This record gives sequence, C-alpha cells and structure tokens, in this order.
Amino acid sequence: MKKKIVSIMLAVAMVATMAAGCGSKESSSDGGASEDGKVTLKVFSNLPDRKNGQGLVEQTIIDEYMKENPDVDIKVEALDEEAYKTKFKAYSMEGMPDVVSIWGQPAFLDEVVDAGVLAELNQDDYADYTFVEGSLNGYTYDGKLYGLPRNTDVAVFYYNQKMFEENGWEVPETYDDLLALAGKINDAGVTPVAMDGGDGWPMAVYLSDLLYKVAGDGYADIISNAIETGDFSAPELEEATQLLKDAVDAGLFQNGYDSQDYGTAQNLFTNGQAAMYYMGSWDASMALNEDIPEDIRTNIRVFTMPVVKDGKGTATDIAAWNGGGYAVSANSEVKDEAIKFLNYMYQPDKLSKYGWENGVGMSAQDQTDYMTGEETELQMQIVDLVNNSTSLSGTPINDCGPSAFKTSIESEIQSVSNGTTSIEDFLSTIGASCK
Amino acid sequence: MKKLYSNKLVILSLVLPGLLLFLFAILAPICLSVYYGFTDYSGMGTYNMIGFENYKTLLHDATFRIALRNSLYLAIGFVFIQHPLALITAAVLDKLGGRGENFFRCVYFIPNVISVAVIAYLWKFIYNPDFGLLNNLIKMFGGKGDINWFDSNTAIWAVLIVLIWHGFGWGMLIYYTGIKNIDPVLYEAAAIDGANQKTIFLRITLPLMKPVIQVNVTMAVISALKQMETVYLLTNGGPGNSTQFTANYLYQQAFKAFKYGYGNAIGVVFIIICLIATVVLNKIFEDRDEKAIKKLEKARRKGAVA
Repeated sequence: MKKKIVSIMLAVAMVATMAAGCGSKESSSDGGASEDGKVTLKVFSNLPDRKNGQGLVEQTIIDEYMKENPDVDIKVEALDEEAYKTKFKAYSMEGMPDVVSIWGQPAFLDEVVDAGVLAELNQDDYADYTFVEGSLNGYTYDGKLYGLPRNTDVAVFYYNQKMFEENGWEVPETYDDLLALAGKINDAGVTPVAMDGGDGWPMAVYLSDLLYKVAGDGYADIISNAIETGDFSAPELEEATQLLKDAVDAGLFQNGYDSQDYGTAQNLFTNGQAAMYYMGSWDASMALNEDIPEDIRTNIRVFTMPVVKDGKGTATDIAAWNGGGYAVSANSEVKDEAIKFLNYMYQPDKLSKYGWENGVGMSAQDQTDYMTGEETELQMQIVDLVNNSTSLSGTPINDCGPSAFKTSIESEIQSVSNGTTSIEDFLSTIGASCK
Repeated sequence: MKKLYSNKLVILSLVLPGLLLFLFAILAPICLSVYYGFTDYSGMGTYNMIGFENYKTLLHDATFRIALRNSLYLAIGFVFIQHPLALITAAVLDKLGGRGENFFRCVYFIPNVISVAVIAYLWKFIYNPDFGLLNNLIKMFGGKGDINWFDSNTAIWAVLIVLIWHGFGWGMLIYYTGIKNIDPVLYEAAAIDGANQKTIFLRITLPLMKPVIQVNVTMAVISALKQMETVYLLTNGGPGNSTQFTANYLYQQAFKAFKYGYGNAIGVVFIIICLIATVVLNKIFEDRDEKAIKKLEKARRKGAVA
C-alpha cells in the first residue's frame, strides 16, 4: 500500500513539473510602460566592454540619459560581434529590443531591412546633426532611412615609431617599398605586420584597400558589378588578390597569421613583437590603453596603404567607411521613446564628443568643435588622414554582398593568401556564393 | 503493486514525460528541419518552397565534402587510436591497484572536467607559432621552432590530436568501469590454468568487454560526426575550410551566411548519416552466435513452410 502511494505521488510530481515547465509564459513580457509610469527601454549592443573605448562612451550616454529622464529605465544587453549577430537573428523572429546596434552594410542590413524589423526614421530630424556627407547612404533603402552611423572607420597600418627610428626603417611610399621593408624587418627578427587573419574580415579589408589603390574611383562599380553578376574576373580584382598574395610570400605577416585571432594579433604589436599592425582606426584607443607598455603606447603612429605600381588610386585615396551604428525596432512598444533616446545619443555633443575624448576614432559627424588640444598624436594623425584625403573608398568588399558572400570570402581569403587555392579558384568560388 | 502497474493511466503517466520530451525536443525539431530544408528561408522574413534545390547544391558543395572527410578522419582516429589506447590504459590501471590506480584514473579524466572553451584556448596557446609551448620546446632542444602548426595542410592533424586527447579520459573511464565489473573468479581460474597476462587480456577481458566496447565505439563515432564546440573555438574551420566539420559548417551556413534553409538541409543529411552510422555499427557488432541462431531459425521456418 505504501509503495502504491509513493508511486502515485511520483507520477503526480512528474506531471506537475512538466505542467510547470510549460506554463510560465505570462511573466516574460516586461517591455514597455509598467504600472508605475516608468518606461523601460531595452538596448541591445555589440559592445560588451562597458569600461573602455566605444562601450564606455555608450554607457556614459545611457547613464546621462537616465539621470535626465528619471522615468526612463534603460536595460543594456551587450554581446560580442559574432554572438550579437546570432542573437540579433533570433530576436528578429521573436521581437527585437527597442534600440539595437546595426551595420550600415549590405551584408548585414539587406536581410534585416527586407524582414522589416527596423523602424523608419524621419530624415528631416537629422538636418542639424552634422552627419558627414554620404555617411547615411549605407543606412538608406529606397529613400527611407533605417539607422544612423556611429563611426568613420579608416583602414590603417599602425606602426611603432620608436622601433622604426632605432632600426632606420622608413614609412613605405609604395607597395614595393612595403614588401622590401618586410624583408628588412624579418631580418631583424621582428614580425613586420601583425595581422588578424583568423577572422577573415581584416584580410578582406586589406584586399579592399589594395583594390582601391589599384582601381581608384572604379572601386565601387567593380565590386557592385561583380556581386551582381557573380563574375569576379575583373583584372583589378585579380591584381589586388595577387598583391595580397605577394605580401604573404614576402613574409609581411606573422607566421600562422591565418589562424590567429584579433587579440593575438594586437598583442603581437602592443608587446613590441611586431613592428606594424593592420587594423581599423577604432584601435587608435590603444594610445590611451594603460595596459600597453608606455614606450609602445606613446609611439604608435599610422600610415595608410602605400600606392601600388600603375594603380589609379593615389596616396590620399584612403580606405574608409561608415560601419556600425544604431537603429530602432519597428515593433517596439515604446518606439517614440526609443527614437527620442536615439536622437539624444546622436546630438553632436554626445557620441561624437565623448567618442573623441575617449580616443575611439572618428565619428560620422563633424567633430572639429570638440578638439581639446589634448588629443594623442595618433588621433590627430588619423584626423589629418581623413581631412587631407582626396576620396574615401566606402564599404569594404566583404560587406558589399549578401551574408553568404561575406561568409565565403572571409574563409576563402585565408586559402588564397596562404596558397592553398589559386587566385582564379578564389575569384570563382566567391562569385558562386553571390548567386 | 501489480494492480497499480496494470493500470493504464499509471503506465501512461510514467511513460508520458519521456515520450513528450522525445516528441518536442527531438522529433518535432527534426520534422521542422526537414520542412525548412525544402525552403530558401534566410531566418528572417518570408520564404519560398524550392523543393530539392538545397540538396542538389549540397551534392556539389566542396566544403561539405571536406567537412565529412574530416569527420571520417576523426571517427577513424577515435576508433583506431583513442579507444585501443583507452582500453589498454584501463586494463593496466585495473592491474595497478592501490593509490596509483585512483591517482592516474583522476589524472586521465581531468581534460574531460575542464570546460571545452578552456581546452580550446589552452591548445591555441600551445600551438601558437610565436610564443606557443610546442615551438618553445623545439627551441629548447635546439630546433628552429617556427613551425606553423595550423598550416592549411597540417591544421586538421593538430585539431585531431586535441580532440583525441580530450575524449581519451571519458572512453577510458567507461572501459575501466567495464573491466571492474568482470568477475574476478574468471581471472583466478585463468591464473590457475597458467594463462599469462596477454592471454588473459585477449581471451577474458576483451570478449567480456564487448558490450562496453560496442556502446563506447558507437558513441565515439556519433560524437566524431557531431564535433562542433572544440573546432569552433580552436580554428572555426580555418584556415580556409581545412578544419571544417559538419556541425560547424551547418552553424556557419544557417546563422552566419543567413542560409537557414540550406543549414537545415545539411542538418537533415547529417541526421541520415548519423542513423546509417549507428545501424552499420550495430550490424558490425552483432553477436556471431546471435547471427547463427537467427540463421538457424530462418532455416527452420523455411523448412516448416516447405
């Protein structure tokens, strides 16, 4: 009898736990205005480091906004880029947070805008926001604006000035100089350029940089034609790929560059094991990072991709684009409040000013008013690069096509650079992924 | 008691949780995968039915072939390197006795206790060509020590070593438990008959371990096919696609390339391959005696019909 009771109880317990597991739906929708009149804004960000660089800037603005608007509560969820993109996709199926990080590039935004998860913004609102000309293009579809850019990113070679001076190395004027320099630096037992080749995209940026130097203002047309037709046989593309391969053959990058990640590459440079480091201008905050030894951090300077032989791009045509930014969810329950917050962030004295003060590089807005006179030399150098440039390239090649193309080129570029596949195979494989 | 178990409601309530779990956590997702495998769904927005288009693409997908080949390498590595070693280590451990036995059992199992993320980064640093442990060891012994272990041609072996090393303790522990369950009387009898260690291992331990080996090998092959997290963290399939594995490729296609439909098609093919692998393994391990009995029965039935 006792056993019987125990058995029944066990069965009941089992069914009860199952019922409990299935029935907890009602408490999960906590977005929007709650009963005490407080508005909760959910911000989904790709900046998990809230204590440094861009993440700190974002958090500072959020804290200020909450102070000025005590009835608004902002909840931040921040994930690293890859995790962010994966979760972004999950959110797009089950409901987006109110304010989200986005990338104004076809590889990311095409599918997202198609799915209709982003709210349209009123372009007239931003007339006084001093956005740099052309910077909103990547966020505009059929004349409708879906997001706002945060930065102007420039692809640069960071170099260790002290190391260069001590060894009598000179900033290269031409691509051939750069490859010759690689030999000299290797002879000195130092890695010439630290390259984050494990991720694929920095090399795709490098390729775009070369392509811009080869093709000049034909750059955008060559890429968009190739992506539209899936035919990547344009001689400029072939030449740029060959130049990338030449760099690897000349030993420009560290040993095993094609399997090393961002952090490892950056460490090579900041530890003084590499003389140069190829990355976007956002890493200019290295100059302010106290974890980096002082004699390295204060000696970081930059130069852009040197000109290539017979190339149409001049030294002042630089690879630069407006990448990351923010948007508002189309289905947000507190859309007006979310747009209000978005506009607050983009007031010229917020993102631009704070970003500048924290050395995260250039914003997509006019920053001249916020020069403090205390900028690091590195920062000033990058500003000069942009100000003295004759043209900017626009989106790097890997972000110009659909995500399938992006995934393909970022993996195939490793194989073509290290010689596993031929240049023709590389160009036809990435072409096939566009169809 | 008997009455209780014959009550259909009670039986149902006991079976139901497992059944529901199977239905909703395994069967339903598989059915959905099959469905989405026939679409061009990007994971967002609307989609169209495109029939067998995804499967046709898959047939000509060079990367998928590399991924399958790598999975096969891993399965072979598991079955022919990891498991024989694990079995022998388990047998030796069993003979060791005393404190040493416990100590080594723990040591061998440690890699399994450490999180996969830690393992992956540990090996990333061991393999690093600039400051890695391996190259530094080579330097210590006078070599040049500038080997790029993750070179396109060697990366897959570097990854296989990590995977085989990582799963070793798990296989060993199961073999060890199996050996401990063998009746010691048999060993005593063999010793009295004058059998040496080798004969004892081959004639007593190995045959009695058969069920354990069967389970272990099946699990190893399936886990080779399913390999994802270590590879994802170690190389993410690179350089190029030289260390791509099926599950990782599926993930990349579905969630990074926004080809959710295609990813699901890979998933379906993947399930079929896993099922075939399981069936084939079971066939291989089918008891010869059992087979003989089955044959006999068949013959008898035939005889009866005739």
